[in-house]
Amino acid sequence: MLEIKNLTKSFGDILALDRFSLELGKGEVLGLLGPNGAGKTTLISILAGTLGDFSGGVTFLGRDLFADRSLKNRMGVVPQDMAFYDELSAMDNLMFWGGLYDVPRPELKRRAAELLELVELAGRAKEPVKNFSGGMKRRLNTAIGLLHRPDLLLLDEPTVGIDVQAKVSILDIIRGVGASGTAVIFTTHQLAEVETTCSRIAIMDRGRILAQGSLDELVRIVGERDVVEIVGEFAAAPFSEALQGLAGDRVELLSAADGLASLAVADTEEIPRIMDRLFRHKLAVTDMKIKSPSLETVFLKLTGRNLRD
Amino acid sequence: MRRLFLVLSNDVRRHLKSPLAILIYMAIPMVMTGLIGVIFAPRTEEGQLPPIQVLLVDHDKGLASKLVLGTFDVDQMKKMFRVTVTDEADGRKRMEKGRASAMVVIPEGFTLDLLDARTTTLTVVKNPAEQFLPDVVEEFVNTLAVMLSGVVQAFAAEVQGVRAMLEAPADAFPWEKLGPELGKAQKKIVAARTYLSPLLIRLKAEETRAAGAKTRFTRTDLFSIMLPGMAVMFLLFIVQTLMRDIISEREDGKLRRMMTTPLRPIELVGARLLGGWVMGLAVLLVMAAFGTLIFRAAWGPFGYFLLLGAAASFWTAAFFGCFHALVRNRNQAGAFGAPIILAFSLFGGSMMNPEAMPKAFLAVGVATPNRWFIDGAALVRDGRFPAASLAVLVVSGLVLTALAVPALRRRTSV
Repeated sequence: MLEIKNLTKSFGDILALDRFSLELGKGEVLGLLGPNGAGKTTLISILAGTLGDFSGGVTFLGRDLFADRSLKNRMGVVPQDMAFYDELSAMDNLMFWGGLYDVPRPELKRRAAELLELVELAGRAKEPVKNFSGGMKRRLNTAIGLLHRPDLLLLDEPTVGIDVQAKVSILDIIRGVGASGTAVIFTTHQLAEVETTCSRIAIMDRGRILAQGSLDELVRIVGERDVVEIVGEFAAAPFSEALQGLAGDRVELLSAADGLASLAVADTEEIPRIMDRLFRHKLAVTDMKIKSPSLETVFLKLTGRNLRD
Repeated sequence: MRRLFLVLSNDVRRHLKSPLAILIYMAIPMVMTGLIGVIFAPRTEEGQLPPIQVLLVDHDKGLASKLVLGTFDVDQMKKMFRVTVTDEADGRKRMEKGRASAMVVIPEGFTLDLLDARTTTLTVVKNPAEQFLPDVVEEFVNTLAVMLSGVVQAFAAEVQGVRAMLEAPADAFPWEKLGPELGKAQKKIVAARTYLSPLLIRLKAEETRAAGAKTRFTRTDLFSIMLPGMAVMFLLFIVQTLMRDIISEREDGKLRRMMTTPLRPIELVGARLLGGWVMGLAVLLVMAAFGTLIFRAAWGPFGYFLLLGAAASFWTAAFFGCFHALVRNRNQAGAFGAPIILAFSLFGGSMMNPEAMPKAFLAVGVATPNRWFIDGAALVRDGRFPAASLAVLVVSGLVLTALAVPALRRRTSV
């Protein structure tokens, strides 16, 4: 359904997308996971047609996405901004945005009512949106992207800044949309969101996909090893030097920063050896955590940094 | 086109849902006009019209001319007219300076012509700078002429008797005949029920033609002159407010979302320009209607005013289309927009009478829409077609549109 080939985009000297390639099938829900500046929003903006001056190509439904304007009617976009009119009601907003997608008016009215039920705003359909809470606005923002029953739905951080209840509601909607056959790409910082919502996860950093697959496939990258997170008063370089010689199949340094380092260990019996090395090099450790393999540890291994760094 | 009108109707709906800013901008010119009117308009007793200034030139100095003059001297008429008897040269000079609403000229031989039942002509010279008062004088003199003509024709025989009496030496005045003559006249007065024709006194109406004749304003005149200036100034503010969406929608992400739909940038630009134009015109017409209702301001023929308003609103929408394509954000739009509008208003005559402005201001003023709208409105008020104002506003509006469309398209394309 969607095929992205070697998409490259720069902002001055900064390479936002670096020969980015991806394929997406019907009904697939792809979670794009990456830290700030990974290129997620750049990718969504290019696909949505709101960012130009790039190289590479995108084929959607067998046609060139950027040459065939009619494809805009087959794609829904839920931007990070609450992009609707606060002074209008939820229903008026849906009627306006749906009108721009050429949905015939009688059908649009039915569809708007149906979506207001779906996002649990039917009871407040005629109220000005400015009276809504953040969560209600996010749900309306999502509903607008679904008005014209798109084949591809792009969501850019659709759960930012809302409470848990609203987040769960939006993630339910995304799962439902995928189940109905619409392909979905959604970007997020939240590991838990992609773990529970997506059929496929892509980890992205510095404009490239580092790894992709199902949650199980990604966890296998780290293997069955536990991850040890060490907090202390040390600099990154001496910490790495202290552990030289230990590295191998049984201990792998995943990341090291001033005061914080992560290691993958084949067995927790390796931990005393690690501590011994650190004490001998006079590196003070103040805390230590042992974590089971998870998407977070995968992310750490692939990017060398935490998701929120 | 369908999407263009969808955006346009959505904009109208939005502004109707939260009309506070527009209502404030519409109320301010009314309040300012009212305040200035109260402060500067001529004072009258409890809202009555002030006495109408009439100049009377008596070339006849006979009985009939005294009768005409005496009519103005009756108590009731004194409240309505303030008559100054003068000679014709001085009268014309005063009229050219706008010192009176009208001048009535009684011709030489007026009394004798009446006594001989010959046609004669009273001339009323009107001040064109005033709207209603000269017409009141004309109507009054016309009525006087009709009455005098009727009286002279109905009492032709008695008039001859009166003439004979008048021509008799003072010491030989036939007093014994006076009683029977008056008795006969009384019977005729009872019998006379209609005017006779043709009229012996004709009325000739003229207007002073001196350029720049200043008017002695009534409050209504003042409102009629002030309101167009105020209206065009606040039209600029209102259209700027309406078209600020171009910037704000770019900043809050609505523009990006619109560009993810099949809506084309040119359709959005068209909707914004058309919206500014149509809503600006609607607001201008509402302001004009309120001006008429509240201040009895006169605007002249509606068709002409509509054209002028449409041209001014078109110019304004095109100008702010260009403006919003150039400014970077809402803060810049706010910071530069108001000073530009105030400068237009200052140099264009919205804030003071153009005749009282320095020459340099007048020269700059021709580059403002205010000046052309105010000049056009003055012509329309006099019932004349504002061709020059329309031509300037439409042609320069088209030039601005030609600049605004590509510039806005660039800002809209993301």
